[in-house]
Amino acid sequence: MKVSINWLKELVDLTVSVDEVVRLLPLRTIGTKEVTENFLELDMKGYNRADLLSLRGVAYEIAAITESKINFEEPNEGGFAWIGKNLPCVTVKVENKHLAPIYCIARIEGLKVNPSPDEWVRKLDDSGMRSVNNIADITNLIMLEYGQPLHAFDAKDVAGETIIVRNARAGEKITTLDGKHRSLDPSDLLITDSDKALGIAGVMGGKDSEVKGSTDTILLEAAIFDGKNLRKTAQRLGLSSEASKRFQHGLTKKRLLQALDAAIKLYQQLGGELTSITLVGDFTEEEKTIYLNQKKLNSLIGVDISKKFVESSLIRLGFIVTLASHEEALQGWNIRLPFWRVDINIEEDLIEEVARIYGYENIPAKSLEREVTEEVDQRLFEFIYELKSTLVNLGLTEVQTYSFYSTTVLNNLEINKNNLIKILNPISSETEYMRDYIWPNLVEKVTENLKYFKDVAIFEIGKIYLFKNQDMPEEKYHLSIALSNETDNPLKELWAILQKISETLNLGINIESQDRGDYARRYLHPTKFSNLQDENGKHIGGMAEVHPRIINQFGTEKRVASLELEIIPLT
Amino acid sequence: MEEKLSQIQASYLEKINQANTLRELDESFLALFGKNGELTLLPKQFSKLEDEEKRKIGPIFNQIKSGLEQAIEKKRAEVRQAGYQKLTEEKLDINPTELKSRTGHLHPTTQFIQQTVELFAKLGFQQIDAPHIDTDEYNFELLNIPQDHPARDLWDTLYIENQYAPGQLLLRTHTSNAQIRVMRDLKPPFRIMSIGRCFRYENLDARHEHTFEQFELIYVDKNLSMAHLQYLSEYFLKGTMGEDIKARLRPKYYPFVEPGVGIDALCFFCKGKGCKVCGGIGWLEIGGAGMIHPNVLKNGGIDPNIYSGIAWGPGIGRMMMLKYGIDDIRSFLKGDLKFLEKF
Repeated sequence: MKVSINWLKELVDLTVSVDEVVRLLPLRTIGTKEVTENFLELDMKGYNRADLLSLRGVAYEIAAITESKINFEEPNEGGFAWIGKNLPCVTVKVENKHLAPIYCIARIEGLKVNPSPDEWVRKLDDSGMRSVNNIADITNLIMLEYGQPLHAFDAKDVAGETIIVRNARAGEKITTLDGKHRSLDPSDLLITDSDKALGIAGVMGGKDSEVKGSTDTILLEAAIFDGKNLRKTAQRLGLSSEASKRFQHGLTKKRLLQALDAAIKLYQQLGGELTSITLVGDFTEEEKTIYLNQKKLNSLIGVDISKKFVESSLIRLGFIVTLASHEEALQGWNIRLPFWRVDINIEEDLIEEVARIYGYENIPAKSLEREVTEEVDQRLFEFIYELKSTLVNLGLTEVQTYSFYSTTVLNNLEINKNNLIKILNPISSETEYMRDYIWPNLVEKVTENLKYFKDVAIFEIGKIYLFKNQDMPEEKYHLSIALSNETDNPLKELWAILQKISETLNLGINIESQDRGDYARRYLHPTKFSNLQDENGKHIGGMAEVHPRIINQFGTEKRVASLELEIIPLT
Repeated sequence: MEEKLSQIQASYLEKINQANTLRELDESFLALFGKNGELTLLPKQFSKLEDEEKRKIGPIFNQIKSGLEQAIEKKRAEVRQAGYQKLTEEKLDINPTELKSRTGHLHPTTQFIQQTVELFAKLGFQQIDAPHIDTDEYNFELLNIPQDHPARDLWDTLYIENQYAPGQLLLRTHTSNAQIRVMRDLKPPFRIMSIGRCFRYENLDARHEHTFEQFELIYVDKNLSMAHLQYLSEYFLKGTMGEDIKARLRPKYYPFVEPGVGIDALCFFCKGKGCKVCGGIGWLEIGGAGMIHPNVLKNGGIDPNIYSGIAWGPGIGRMMMLKYGIDDIRSFLKGDLKFLEKF
């Protein structure tokens, strides 16, 4: 959210400098992404503060953290533009009330499309939006101030001036405002007239019904759409807009009506006339009250915060605080939420509010009390570290490679991909298949390093991933070593290394009979390979010289030996 | 000129045909195409030729050049193939031998994590292992992150193609996938470390990696508070970065904690004065934490009216980059010994 600094100053009588606001915001509320002399951008990625997607919400928040005063009043609902006017209705049919619980259309005529005044252009520009024309700009200016997206349809393009809100039909298409043709899914909610789609609800309007030079009458839409469904549509179409963000974070009926009223009044200032209006849905706003217990608050924050401070903090943030009539031992408050704080649901949320105003940075450290906790077996982790240290002491260097096979590895080894775990949405073909051994990655790293080193001795301990067609994939910890040591028989030294490890850690690793199976035929030197077993004769892995045919594929003529072992049987 | 070319062609074709080793072929290749190779130098004489001859010699030269290249390639394959055939004559020789003298290096990530593990082991924290491939349920849903919640934007996720649970298997996006398992398996109070590889849908560049390490504390007991978060943060920073590195907490939203906390460290470089690294702020963002959300405790079978929980985790990769002055995050998994030997 880009907050225009000039606009903010219209809404809040700041008692501190803008620099101080910029310093306080991350300490009290939310991080900032960018700050210029014209705007400050709040880092809203993944955030739950829907109110901070409106300037009015930001104004309340900044007023609270800087102890400044708000320059505006919540409007008197009795003064809304349509009250007492006895206007006719626009025909609106909402077929899917679940996905569009609130839907309003106001018909405004007598408009003339012109460039926007400089002040509007500047406000939009500071907020990171482009001015289009006076009619369209009003919808964006109101959205920025109130957080409620609005959309204006050219009434001439709406057949019979009748609006139907329904799901898309199979195979239905629309050209959106950005000129792109979009195929729709029956889960998408559409705004339509009797014969065509006018827009994708809350995501983007249609090209055909947009405001243009000849527009003189508009149907102005203010609605609440189901955020989850809308998110799916927006994601599938790759269309994230300022409007869709706000629908997803959540809207309030109160702000919707305020925004509609404010927009109509701006259109009236341009000479427009409100000629009909339809408000569909249940507009009663539930008031939420949450009990806050003082003991719990102090216990969770870890500081004794005075009653007075708790009350004044919450009042600054717009909460209505009344002492709860509980027994004295359970001292607490009933806290009524300001309607714009839809992110607050439980007592812990209120505790965070108080902690924010108190300042997280003012909470002193408290050391942990010593106590015995349940014993968890640490052998695996201790063994892995011992093994790594032993290998390093023997002169090997630890590498860590991706959990994927690179395309180079897949191609040079001609690995059968059918037996690998496949990523559904790979970032690129380099992250499409998961490794089921580590040694192919180490062979790749050895050959890369042979360009700069004559001798390469590396190892990796990590997980490998086994494909199971009808079951959860399996993960195992493996050790792999790869060695190229300027000789024609690196396996000899590799075996010596393994024997040293086995001795040092008392693992009893032994040579097992050679098993010239398919795997060996594909990848290993015809004679220089052996299976490995633990002291109980259990198969735990193998070692080999990698077939020179494969090594040559990686662009080197050197000999490379490698081994791979399962870790768990050794612990 | 034409004659000279055919001479070169004839003599090298013979050399190539008689070669038995890759080294001989490499020699021929260098003698022809190296910096001072015959075919590298020859075209410099073309400018002296008559126009008509120039036109004629061009195509002939190219034909001979590519012919020789192919001959070398073909012979290389033959020599290799013959070599592969001879491999069967080599014996498996694993008789005892001395190890070469080398200096080994632990990966910087292992070093940093081990240091951190030892620090927190002193406070009674113990390690557990959690799967890299997990279900949407453990990675998101049970952590108070429902399907299609806007907070999912925080984690761009890689999914696994499978028939076992279509659309439900993913590569864990954080070590927090251990939280519910730990809560269900252990009886509070417990102090746990969940460490390891995590994955995100990120396009690679110097600052973004799709594969990275996380370190996380999961701590459930009676009366835990944000004051303990401050303590753990300070303890960690002093232990890894130096006594003078303070911790500062500030609000941050994560759906699985409430209150949610961002952890800042006093800038390692300017010690708070403000410099280029910290963007003049004096503090560096190093991780996230918070008091475990009551819904998550409930999902783990723990009564939030009796117990509270701490989830705490620094960004290991970012801290190492700052600590060791690493400017490219891809260095960690590149396997380049020139990099690894510095540690």
